[in-house]
Amino acid sequence: MPRMSRRSRSLRRIKKKLPGGSTKLVYAKRQPGTTKCSICHIELKGIPRMRPFEARNMAKTKKRPERAYGGFLCANCLREKLKQEARQS
Amino acid sequence: MFEIGRVCMKIAGRDAGKKCLVIDVVDEHFVMIDGQTRRRKCNIKHLEPINQAVQINKNAPAPEVARVLNEIGILVEEKKQKVKSEKKAKTARPKRARKKKELPVKEKVKEKTKIIKSETKTKKLDKNKPEEKVEEKA
Repeated sequence: MPRMSRRSRSLRRIKKKLPGGSTKLVYAKRQPGTTKCSICHIELKGIPRMRPFEARNMAKTKKRPERAYGGFLCANCLREKLKQEARQS
Repeated sequence: MFEIGRVCMKIAGRDAGKKCLVIDVVDEHFVMIDGQTRRRKCNIKHLEPINQAVQINKNAPAPEVARVLNEIGILVEEKKQKVKSEKKAKTARPKRARKKKELPVKEKVKEKTKIIKSETKTKKLDKNKPEEKVEEKA
């Protein structure tokens, strides 16, 4: 029987094949959800799903689009926002 | 709407949110822009005009565009001008000469005597063979 803390389904179960041919159950944390636009809640593109320890060694340019509000707003919402800014000025 | 001297804001791409000036009109879809953004061709769909216009020559150089925009109150940093660096003449690398191995000098063995012996043996055999054959035929 596995450790009691691992019996909850909050962990992901992976069946791994060992070099001898037998399989073994391995427990892993689940992937985080996709990032979403803070205005229209659509899934943002160009942002990888990963845990913080994976993101640590990644380049900044690979983690979000290199645009104003990149990684927070989708391109369409940003366009609307900037249009309003331009018309007010 | 997008005539030369119109101040615009870029609303798409990596220069989004930056202000620029229309320098040239390429065709009905594209214009040339410069200012806070890079100096480049740009689709009209990626621009939003601002209620300001300036008098400027067609294809004005970057420092002039920066000066005009600074007068309006749009700060433009001076772009670094590309300085043509003189190419350094490549100094010829000294070619590596292969070291020649110094072979140990072999002492010549006198083989004359051996050769003479082998020659004498063959000569004897050659002489014997035809003689025998002749005798058998007879």
